[in-house]
Amino acid sequence: MTRRLTWALPPALLLAAAFLYPLALVVRQSFRPDTGGTSLQPYTDVLGSVAFREALWTTVWLALAATACCLVLGFFLALVIAFVPFPGAKAVARFVDVFLSFPSFLITLALLFLYGTVGMANGLWTEVTGAASGPFRFLTTPWGILLAEVTYFTPFVMRPLLAAFSQLDTAQVEVAASLGARPGQIVGRVILPEALPALAAGGGLVLVLCLNEFGIVLFTGAKGVTTLPMLVYSKAILESEYPGACVVAVVNVLVSVGLYGLYRVVSRRAGA
Amino acid sequence: MTGIRFERVSVAYDGTTVLDALDLTVEPGEVMALLGPSGSGKTTALRAVAGFVRPASGRVFLGGRDVTGLPPHRRGIGMVVQQYALFPHMRVADNVAFGLRAQKVPRREIPARVAEALEMTGMGEYGRRYPRELSGGQQQRVAIARALAVRPGVLLLDEPLSALDARLRSGMLAELARLHRELPDVTILYVTHDQVEALTLADRIAVMDRARLQDVGTPRELYRAPRTEFTASFVGNANLLPVTVGSTGVAFDGVELQVDTQGVAKGAAATLCVRPHLVGLGPGPNRLAGVVGEIQWRGATHRLYVDVGGHRVMADVRELRRPPAPGEAVEMHFAPEDAVLLAAGVSRD
Amino acid sequence: MLVHSRTGKWTLWVLFLLLFLPLFALPLLVILAASFAGHWSGVLPSDFTTAHYTAATSGESLQALITSLVTAVTASLLALAVGTWGALGAHALPRPLRRVLDALFVLPVAVPSVVVGLAVLVAFSQPPVLLNGTRWIVILAHTVLVTAFAYQSVSAAVLRLDPAYEQAAASLGARPAYVLWRVRLPLLLPSLTAAAGLCFALSMGELSATMMLYPPDWVPLPVQIYAATDRGSLFTGSALAVVLMAATLLVLFAVARIRTRASYR
Repeated sequence: MTRRLTWALPPALLLAAAFLYPLALVVRQSFRPDTGGTSLQPYTDVLGSVAFREALWTTVWLALAATACCLVLGFFLALVIAFVPFPGAKAVARFVDVFLSFPSFLITLALLFLYGTVGMANGLWTEVTGAASGPFRFLTTPWGILLAEVTYFTPFVMRPLLAAFSQLDTAQVEVAASLGARPGQIVGRVILPEALPALAAGGGLVLVLCLNEFGIVLFTGAKGVTTLPMLVYSKAILESEYPGACVVAVVNVLVSVGLYGLYRVVSRRAGA
Repeated sequence: MTGIRFERVSVAYDGTTVLDALDLTVEPGEVMALLGPSGSGKTTALRAVAGFVRPASGRVFLGGRDVTGLPPHRRGIGMVVQQYALFPHMRVADNVAFGLRAQKVPRREIPARVAEALEMTGMGEYGRRYPRELSGGQQQRVAIARALAVRPGVLLLDEPLSALDARLRSGMLAELARLHRELPDVTILYVTHDQVEALTLADRIAVMDRARLQDVGTPRELYRAPRTEFTASFVGNANLLPVTVGSTGVAFDGVELQVDTQGVAKGAAATLCVRPHLVGLGPGPNRLAGVVGEIQWRGATHRLYVDVGGHRVMADVRELRRPPAPGEAVEMHFAPEDAVLLAAGVSRD
Repeated sequence: MLVHSRTGKWTLWVLFLLLFLPLFALPLLVILAASFAGHWSGVLPSDFTTAHYTAATSGESLQALITSLVTAVTASLLALAVGTWGALGAHALPRPLRRVLDALFVLPVAVPSVVVGLAVLVAFSQPPVLLNGTRWIVILAHTVLVTAFAYQSVSAAVLRLDPAYEQAAASLGARPAYVLWRVRLPLLLPSLTAAAGLCFALSMGELSATMMLYPPDWVPLPVQIYAATDRGSLFTGSALAVVLMAATLLVLFAVARIRTRASYR
């Protein structure tokens, strides 16, 4: 027993030194204002600021909305791939896997070409209508970020779902159909219950990743849209205001871990 | 020469006793079958010898040495399990050489030992293959060769034939018997739920049920004179008739039957065990009269289920020219020396 | 099998394509097109050129690619070593302790990468270990971030590994270290390579923590892409992005080849 513990200890200690210890220092620094001493001053400063409260709100609603959209969209797309297969459905499933190995900011970069002020959509509009500029300006608003996050994170829902669907006994679907169940009933009564754990797992992951997303927001370049990770970055790197950055970091971690925990409780209650 | 001794070995998982105070000695060079239904504790007993389960109490001895606290790799055993567990990333020859290399057998001796073990199991040609390129029966032979290559004093076989189909199984059974004749010094502990395997292969059989040892004896002893109802019904088929012991015989359903009542108190309730193939049709001594409930043709024999005073009696008789129809009244008999009286106290409950 | 009528099927397929193509396929195609474009102010790009690739594979950009590759390979190998050791160690522990280790190793996924970056920056800008301004601070942060994924996938594989193999090996007289080296690790090899591929891809695309940490002489590709787009060179940024995707896919493809070989044995 002690020997087993000794064997498990080195990697745990390494991770503790490289991760837990720095995290602890962040917490410590969040109580140490630049003026010296130990106080709650950084917290009252940050929590009282409008910028922080807006960032907190934006982060949370964006993450919740993106997760909901990803779940609906991912479920539908995976359902078609698995149960209404078309020629090339396998290739699409492969493509989903490839998609997952690319960084998120590529999506924002692509959206700039698609919906940017001089992008494809607006170009099409000006050519067709002859207007001087197009109507698509949502890219620098939270909606642009939402679109990018839904695009990037939907595959994270699809992959576990496709894995779950491939384990689902197709005989179940066929038996249900032979008993006269309509497709809607089969999806609701047979497929959805089987897919719930995968759906819950994918949703949980997407929620956390959305709460923590940075690349998409950074690449949008929208000055008006700030999320918590963005605030950490700008406070620490652009303003060199470390105690404040640490406060936001602590809050961000608490929100992520807290919302994820809440999500687990809710999804477990829902039977997943 | 290595024997195995269990000394009041108990094993429990999460508070459930899966092996209850097993006392058993396997003589050096003996083939001992552990026979029982699933959950009887037989595999647990074998794994206690291998060292994969730690007894809650009791000791295990190998060749007189207490190995209870010894890790598996220092016990000097060979083991073959149901799914063979051949290493899929190694060729057959490397699988067989694995134990030799692990035990640091001098490098130049290894090829000869591997060849010898593969020859012995008829797999000499297959050294270069990977396990997935072999059939189930061939994988089985490689698994045995791998276990024998390290020249273990004790060979543990855990349901080794249950993954094979029926035809291969009887062939492998003969192979195992031959191997044991060639290696008379190897003590074999053979776990199975199949009475045919146990009867064919074992020098002695230990019958297990519900975590306990029920009976030990040679196959012949257990078959001819089972000591418990469980043994009687698990080793071969048996008619178990509730009887009352009288002075010269027993009373079954108001009928006097002549049997040996030695060792059972007069007036006591007991169970009479008669093997179906020792029951004959027609009148004779120890006559049983009843009505045919069902009759099955089994090729060389007929199996009759006869209702005798509310008790079902089975009889296996040579194929009948004119078998009785269900509902027909028949008479049956058996010889007094073919019946065994089981006192109620030694039944398992 | 779910929908039998032809019209029903076609309706679903058309809906699928209407959602799938613009959302998932179009972005990647657009980046590819932009990387060759000399000009793009209408519906379609024009003035096709390979000049962006010449720029993307020389000078600073080439340096960034090499930086990313070195960082990703180093971080993946370190993460794989620590994660595998952790997963194997945890597997041998009793359940409550294993839970603690699981939680510790999975925590970096739940913590924002930006915060990991900040934490590493705060911790290693002061004694006892001073790494700020060196490439090692970037590699360390990447390692922390991807170790969680390595641990998770290896520990799932360890759980799936049939204990019969190691028991058979032990019964043949092999010591635990020998069993680990000759039986368990070779059997885990397919999962290890898969984990390595995952770690590599994640590290190649890592931006959040890197933005907090990179020293001027260690600029990975994602930072370079951001710098390009931030100063308005979107086409160069796209070419760099294509280089990033191609390099990632190439390595993933090579890893997959190794994996098929390993599982085929």
